[in-house]
Amino acid sequence: MSDTIDPRWAWERYRHSKGSPWDLRKVGHLYRRAGFGATWPELQAGLKDGPDQTIERLLRPSAHDGSLEELSRQMAQSIGNANNGLEARAWWLYRMLYTHDPLREKMALFWHNHFATSNAKVNSARFMLGQYELLHKHALGNFASLLQEISHDPAMMVWLDTTLSKKGMPNENYARELMELFSLGIGNYTETDIREAARAFTGWELRGGNVSYQPSQHDGGEKTILGQKGKWTGEDIVRICLEQPSTPYFITGKLFRFLISETLSAPPQLLEPLAVRFQKSGYDIAQLVETILRSNLFFSEKAYRTRVKAPVDFALGIVRGLEGRIGTAALAQSLEQLGQNLFYPPSVKGWDGGAAWLNGQTLLFRQNLALALTSTEDNRFGRRTDPAELARKYQLQGSETVVEFFLKLLVDGEVSGEARNRLVEYVMDSEKQSFPIYWTPADGADHRVRSVCHLVLSLPEFQLS
Amino acid sequence: MIPTRRDFLRTSAMTGSLVSWGWTVPLFLNRTAMAAPTAARKGAKDTILVVVELNGGNDGLNTVIPFADQEYEKLRPTLKVTKSEVKKLNDQVGLHPSMGSFAGLLQDHSLCVVQGVGYPNPSQSHFRSMDIWQAGSTDETLTEGWIGRGLKAIPNASAFHLAENNNSAPLALAGAPVRAPSIISLDQFQLQTTAASGSDRRQQRDFMEGVAVPTLSQPRLLDFVKRTAVETYQSSKRLQEIGKNYQPKVPYPNSPLANKLKLAAQLIDADLGARIFYVSFGGFDTHANQAASHGNLLGTISDAMSSFYKDMAARGHKERILMMTFSEFGRRAKENGSRGTDHGSAAPIFLVGGKVKPGVVGNHPSLTRLEMGNLQHHTDFRQVYAAILEQWLGINSKQVLGGGFKPLEILKA
Repeated sequence: MSDTIDPRWAWERYRHSKGSPWDLRKVGHLYRRAGFGATWPELQAGLKDGPDQTIERLLRPSAHDGSLEELSRQMAQSIGNANNGLEARAWWLYRMLYTHDPLREKMALFWHNHFATSNAKVNSARFMLGQYELLHKHALGNFASLLQEISHDPAMMVWLDTTLSKKGMPNENYARELMELFSLGIGNYTETDIREAARAFTGWELRGGNVSYQPSQHDGGEKTILGQKGKWTGEDIVRICLEQPSTPYFITGKLFRFLISETLSAPPQLLEPLAVRFQKSGYDIAQLVETILRSNLFFSEKAYRTRVKAPVDFALGIVRGLEGRIGTAALAQSLEQLGQNLFYPPSVKGWDGGAAWLNGQTLLFRQNLALALTSTEDNRFGRRTDPAELARKYQLQGSETVVEFFLKLLVDGEVSGEARNRLVEYVMDSEKQSFPIYWTPADGADHRVRSVCHLVLSLPEFQLS
Repeated sequence: MIPTRRDFLRTSAMTGSLVSWGWTVPLFLNRTAMAAPTAARKGAKDTILVVVELNGGNDGLNTVIPFADQEYEKLRPTLKVTKSEVKKLNDQVGLHPSMGSFAGLLQDHSLCVVQGVGYPNPSQSHFRSMDIWQAGSTDETLTEGWIGRGLKAIPNASAFHLAENNNSAPLALAGAPVRAPSIISLDQFQLQTTAASGSDRRQQRDFMEGVAVPTLSQPRLLDFVKRTAVETYQSSKRLQEIGKNYQPKVPYPNSPLANKLKLAAQLIDADLGARIFYVSFGGFDTHANQAASHGNLLGTISDAMSSFYKDMAARGHKERILMMTFSEFGRRAKENGSRGTDHGSAAPIFLVGGKVKPGVVGNHPSLTRLEMGNLQHHTDFRQVYAAILEQWLGINSKQVLGGGFKPLEILKA
């Protein structure tokens, strides 16, 4: 970007103004980034309540009865017992879809991508769900604690071979990714640092499904890591990594990409206020996320539609928008085709995101999934995401009203005049179409609503967040 | 499939409408079926390159095994493969015993093994090193791939990424004048609609295609989505017209890699002008208990690649095919304490084809002169690329690699 962004302006709290009014696009934007998309009532409430209160609701959702958590806990237990990794995916989607705390769920997804662990190798649904619990617990908590605990997380230990790392013959896998991907970022350590750190992580095993420390397998000798010499243990290594200046920049940079933009560059001077505060706070994640979500930059043109929706955002955005109540097993399968197989990221680097989400094949899968969710011909999802039902619920009358409703609901009403005209034209033409003889006029009208909704979902704008 | 006049008309009509949009289209769409290349044609004009990415860092030392070197057993006390087990390439080195199919290709003079390939100051990060290999460059910021850049020089060639779920488009193909479509299967490469009638269906499709047409001065990311959509919708239409029931001339093993290569064979057989195929195959990051899994992986690539090659040969394409394997790095010479191997550097490359210089190129890297415990490379991977670009694809390699890389002698004149 040629125009540099003033960091002071960027992270100041957004206040609505004439030049930057609080409007539908801002509410929609907020719900896409801090959650999994908005429903019509959420959009309306957001418009009425203003930014402060709406963000507050996402950051600190009001208390609710624990029935979802109770159900979720029971399901997790049985999925773990049956070691059904595929069902674990559906379980998490279920949580994302019906949670009262979407921001926390979204951040758990961020950490899943950050500490990307795949059940393809771990091969234990119980361990994967255990790791999820850890990520969810610290999702808006403390990054220092999270980094310590993930080092002794059973799924991670299997994934990056800590369980097999012994004194005299250390395995470097975890030490390398801890530095390269989990804390410092590439270029901020040497190969010798990795080899020394690997020695410090020796001695940890899994026995009977539990983490167990074997002092005889631990290399207690002196190591020099990032300039610090001592008889370091794994905890010391994590502490040393957290003390490095590059770590807060690396983490805030990644969160910037997740919450603000995939196309905007984030030079150190822009991240500095966030990074400095993050490290000073002892790595308080909630504070960092709150600063970003309330900021001028977050609500600016520079952030709007500058991310490609991840498959989860794409699919759940449709289901939430249509107020669907669906099971998530088929959806989890579809997400695998779209390229985001939860609990099975492609590598320890996680999903690349951005433009990488969209290639010929995944774009077609997206369009076809949108069709399956909105039409009556595909019974995988039942008919409980039916746009025609929604149109009845909100008593939409007339072609233009229907078109306008779905444009507002799904793309903040922000499309070119040409696209809007084409949609209206389609509906007008469609009214003159001949239908199969067994359709009633009402069937024809429902078909038009579903088609309009599907066509809105097929807009290039809908692919963006 | 024999192209019909109807196919031709349909294709040209569609191309016409795209031209009127003033936009690039996947290039195989621009070729008329009549001008399809034939196997009889000489020279580099219709050569085909299939790149097989071995993801995770393949343990080269247990792939091309220096069985005659006493040091080998010392470095690999539990993972060693004995002299009697290897498939001998010469009196020094041999293939892993699971690579019987590759040994067969050697007998057929269709296998070339390049030893000791790497680059200076090797990175041992999977991601950085994979980017370097795919970009063909060690620059700090890498945004284009070596094939993508190469494609700028051969505008009539088209490229395909044969994908599977969870694969994104490879950096190697980035920078091409037209984005190479990623395809999982022809059946799934379709845009579906639910329509009340034929004309309803047409109107829906017209809408979807119409809103995807890029306009001037729109935001970068929206432009990217539209471009992808336009290219995809048109590719998908064209690909629906080619024969669905491909009958291989030789059986393929049942593996994801073999399935992708079978799809490549189908696309080659359809005469779309496809010249470049990119497939990736993972699982090579063998930090622990690697003996069995590594053997399986090597067996899978050797069997799948040789089936594809034999199928192509049986269709008269033997001299048009060149396949190349690569991995982001080899692994540490000495095994670790978990019966696995940590990240290393230099490793061998395999080339399969009717025009390769058969046998072994270059010596096995020394097992005693290690660098931080890793094998040292003597051949830069870009020398292999340079040979492929210059002698196989007919592209000036300097434009792609920036010069300084002498083509390695891996192809017959």
